[in-house]
Amino acid sequence: MITIIITLIGSLLFALVAPVIGCLLAGIDRIISARMQGRVGPPLLQPYYDVRKLFGKENVSVNSVEHGYVVCAFIFACVAGGIFFTGGNLLFVIFVITLSSLFFIMAAYSTRSPYAEVGAARETVQVMSYEPMIILMAIGFFMAAGSFDTKAVFALDTPVISTIWLIFLGLLFVLTIKLRKSPFDLSMSHHAHQEIVRGMTTEMSGPTLGLVEIMHWCETVLFLGWVGLFFVWGQWFSVVIAIVVVLAVYFLEIWIDNNFARVKWQFMFKSAWAVALLAGGVNIAVLAFL
Amino acid sequence: MALQMIGFLVMFPLVVAALLLILRSDGIRSAIVWVSGIVVALASCAFVVMNIGAGEVLIEFSWEPLDHLCTAISCLIVVTILAFCVKYRNVWAALLAVVQLVAVIYFESAYGAEIDIPNGLYFDSLTLLMVFIIGVIGSGICIYAIGYMKDFQAHEPKGARDRRPTFFALMFLFLAAMFAIVFSNNMEWLFTGWEVTTVCSFLLIGYTKTPEAIRNAFRQIIMNLAGGIGFVVALYVSAISVGTLSFNEFISVGMTHPELTVIALIALAFAGITKAAQMPFQTWLLGAMVAPTPTSALLHSSTMVKAGVFLLIKLAPLFLVTPLASIMVMLVGAITFLLCSFMAISQTNAKRVLAYSTIANLGLITACAGVGTPEAVWAAGFLILFHAAAKSLLFLCVGTAEHHIGSRDIEAMDLLFDRMPRLARFMMLGIMCMFIAPFGMLIAKWAAIVSFVDMNQVALLIILAFGSAATFMFWAKWLGKLAGIAGQPEDVELTVHRSEWFAIMVMAVLVIVGCVLIPLISDFFIEPYVVSVYGFFGQDIATGNLWLASICVAVVVIVLFCGLGRSKARRVDVYLSGVSRDDSARSFQNALSGTTEATVRNWYMKEYFGEDRIAFVGVVFNSVLMAAVLACAIIGLPLGL
Repeated sequence: MITIIITLIGSLLFALVAPVIGCLLAGIDRIISARMQGRVGPPLLQPYYDVRKLFGKENVSVNSVEHGYVVCAFIFACVAGGIFFTGGNLLFVIFVITLSSLFFIMAAYSTRSPYAEVGAARETVQVMSYEPMIILMAIGFFMAAGSFDTKAVFALDTPVISTIWLIFLGLLFVLTIKLRKSPFDLSMSHHAHQEIVRGMTTEMSGPTLGLVEIMHWCETVLFLGWVGLFFVWGQWFSVVIAIVVVLAVYFLEIWIDNNFARVKWQFMFKSAWAVALLAGGVNIAVLAFL
Repeated sequence: MALQMIGFLVMFPLVVAALLLILRSDGIRSAIVWVSGIVVALASCAFVVMNIGAGEVLIEFSWEPLDHLCTAISCLIVVTILAFCVKYRNVWAALLAVVQLVAVIYFESAYGAEIDIPNGLYFDSLTLLMVFIIGVIGSGICIYAIGYMKDFQAHEPKGARDRRPTFFALMFLFLAAMFAIVFSNNMEWLFTGWEVTTVCSFLLIGYTKTPEAIRNAFRQIIMNLAGGIGFVVALYVSAISVGTLSFNEFISVGMTHPELTVIALIALAFAGITKAAQMPFQTWLLGAMVAPTPTSALLHSSTMVKAGVFLLIKLAPLFLVTPLASIMVMLVGAITFLLCSFMAISQTNAKRVLAYSTIANLGLITACAGVGTPEAVWAAGFLILFHAAAKSLLFLCVGTAEHHIGSRDIEAMDLLFDRMPRLARFMMLGIMCMFIAPFGMLIAKWAAIVSFVDMNQVALLIILAFGSAATFMFWAKWLGKLAGIAGQPEDVELTVHRSEWFAIMVMAVLVIVGCVLIPLISDFFIEPYVVSVYGFFGQDIATGNLWLASICVAVVVIVLFCGLGRSKARRVDVYLSGVSRDDSARSFQNALSGTTEATVRNWYMKEYFGEDRIAFVGVVFNSVLMAAVLACAIIGLPLGL
């Protein structure tokens, strides 16, 4: 019963706090990207202005269900965040965030736009590509920390990165897919030069699109939380270290995003599975047998 | 009281089967099936409720004429098979049948009389779970078949013989045999039930008598007769080296003296693997698709293949102490799970996707049984329950859709959410239950992961990670196909037969209730079983998390059935880059100024996951593995290993 109440409160808090952090991160992303491209870039709060404007637009849709699916995707993204940041079960977090992705995919399919359908099919392949590595990450975490609960890290003497650094590298690889950064922005992109730009969100507009943006912010915070988890142990200052690492990783993702051209899905699929097999498989085998 | 109830559950379907053969009019048949289906379901529920939370209960019951009757039934089965072999000139099946006949008769004359089994029947919480599945889901499928077979007969060419009485009689006979399997402690009776399910599915698969059906039926009977011979071998070994034919005693001896039972264990595992259609025997279950859909639903969800995994789970404590057999069962199951999940991606035929997914999930159950720890058995129990409910729901939905849209191809299910709104939602529910958290199957998979970690089964963990990813792919794209909405609903589901809706509703309610009450099912069914076998159980998944999952299920279900389609937003047509000719038909102006309609097909990724590439690998790997394990056991035995 306690777990449920904690998770509920955690999810609500996450739904309030994560969009703020995610929004700022998105603003930083746009400024850094602009500087990398030799532009000045928008103000830090530009993502917020964009979303506020979206919510002011007329509610127009191609069907009556799309919005419902997106709301579900958003709710479950918040639940995943709530479980994660209240110290809950990491595997459950992964399952719930997958449920959220599924609802988003169904929203895209339901519109029957040719572009959205291509995007949704590609997103399905993206999920299939990163899923093994993510599950292996949870397993590796369990073997290193002795529990699936994220709160277990606070009882550790050394951070889990010391034993599962190989899995951490694998996570970094699939994180680019999960954040839909170029070169793996196949299903939808924020770069205007790709062959399909908006993909999944082609038919989403106004408040629905605004909600998608907010969900994306929340997801970014959650995924960066996974990154930080590797660096936290029983010392209070470890949280500071984790935050520094998280920011460095986020910068790395932005750098990758701006320096690599989109790849074909075949490359993404093969490389992601190869990484999962090598990084995840080898690391788990080492933990199990040595 | 328990004895009478068991007697009723086994005998009543038999009586119904006989009645159905005699009374051949349509109206009477449908009345009998409705009533007796409900009676069987209620009786099963009553039995489950009366004994809820039971540990192992042995029932003193032995009756010599029954032993002879079982032998007679076994002989009758073989004679039936031989008759078909002569009619369709199949040498292999005949050969196996004769081997089995000789083995059974010799066994009965040599050991039947001297080994006395006072406790012929038993039940425990796993039996209760199976009784629930067989009684409720199995008879639900029988009721569904009333409407389905009416449509089916109407689609047959004019003047085709109406073989429906046989069909329904076989369905009920199947249920009786399944009850016999889950209640028998006497391994000879168990074997008889086992063989009856084999021959029933043989006759049901060959129902249409087309050359394809006959071919597939014979493939099924050859593989399962081989499995049956494995079972007979186990009977011999058990009688000679353990000196008992009581299943319960066999297991307890095996737990303390694994060297006595190792050969019998491998032989029984082989029988279970053939029945559960694990690679290399997966082709019989794929071939079974030619039969009418209720047959497939029955084979896949509540009977036949479930008998295979039931046996394997019963043997789980022995696998824990017999590494050789454990390796075989674990790896066969895991490889089957991985490769069949891959192959499911490349299928367009909905029933074939379901078949591959069934085999894959049975693979996971098999792997859990092979691991043999209490946690793994807990996971396997849940997998059985949720697989049965969700898969029967899906088969019934696909069967109904097939009759109303004229195809079982997933590509033809475009816009099903519009055309058959209720059915599409049920189908979506079934699909979600199969692969996504917080629904039951994934909770079970979660427990499987935990138990594999505990046992340091690295290979199984990697296989599970990749297999789950593939599972996501093939279900999600199917779900996407169903989810499309064009806006002009042309409802074609008004003509669906009442019995079909009834059965589909029952399955849907089972899925929902099962997923929402998952912590209680754990407390009252699965945990008591695990405790009764192992004496202890430390649950890996905290109850709080289970309740959290069940709340999430409730949310999804409410959204699916109440929340969707209420949006009041202004409707517009889809965006076609400003060159559209007809927005509602998605046609646009092409480069030659002609009109092209936008069409999208699902991804099948045949170059990666095609059957022709993958099936071969699995069949060779698993065959070599099983042969190697058997060889090791036979060589190792005299050396005392």
